[in-house]
Amino acid sequence: MPQLDTSTWLVTIIAMILMLFILIQLKFHKYSYPLSPAPKTFKSTSFPTPWETKWTKIYSPLLLPQQ
Amino acid sequence: MNENLFSSFITPTMMGLPIVILIIMFPTLLFPIPTRLINNRLVSAQQWLAQLILKQMMMMHSPKGRTWALMLISLIMFIGSTNLLGLLPHSFTPTTQLSMNLGMAIPLWAGAVITGFRYKTKASLAHFLPQGTPVPLIPMLVIIETISLFIQPMALAVRLTANITAGHLLMHLIGSAALALISISPTTALITFIILILLTILEFAVALIQAYVFTLLVSLYLHDNT
Repeated sequence: MPQLDTSTWLVTIIAMILMLFILIQLKFHKYSYPLSPAPKTFKSTSFPTPWETKWTKIYSPLLLPQQ
Repeated sequence: MNENLFSSFITPTMMGLPIVILIIMFPTLLFPIPTRLINNRLVSAQQWLAQLILKQMMMMHSPKGRTWALMLISLIMFIGSTNLLGLLPHSFTPTTQLSMNLGMAIPLWAGAVITGFRYKTKASLAHFLPQGTPVPLIPMLVIIETISLFIQPMALAVRLTANITAGHLLMHLIGSAALALISISPTTALITFIILILLTILEFAVALIQAYVFTLLVSLYLHDNT
């Protein structure tokens, strides 16, 4: 059975080691797996300014002193 | 007749030059490196496939086992592409060579086992004795478990070699039988040809399955040891 002819074993093993451990890994480590490009929804984190925290009636436009 | 049948498994050398090196390295050309943000179809399809395989395989491993991700994806792609290329007529399949399969199986298995011994010595040694064995059976069971541990790389290599070699041999035999039967009785030749087609479909499946099984077992040995 020609697979048991050990004269060629060395060159086959060396070629395989070169291929598997170096060449193919060099190809696969360049692959990138990006997340899907769908937009994310986000809530804005703005805080209300001090004069907006409390609604006071005097700031209603119709109640300001008429010019 | 014997010499003719096994001639496709002789390591190819052309006038003394070992072109088996070129044959083993040929599948690298089929995996282009992604250079753009949006790549062409071939590269995108391969990236998608790699991501699918990685997610499936690496889910069951601990973070330590996941450091082997590049190795395992390279392994399954290499064996799969080599086996599929070997289904082309008159091609040489490197995975039929026992030398190459031993060279793949022994270092990977040894790496997994030595990692296990180094980081989880007690747990690795505990694998030698399944839970709940009756006390008198312990020595014999330790011997059996040791043998079954050391046979793992041999089984990995021989399983891959034998499956691919047997498939190729069957295709040769049935193909030459169909060819010889054409002049004798065309109907039998047609039946034999249909058998050949079915066998080829099986061989496609076997090519992929063997790659998967090899990688799965290596991954299992890794899981036991991380």
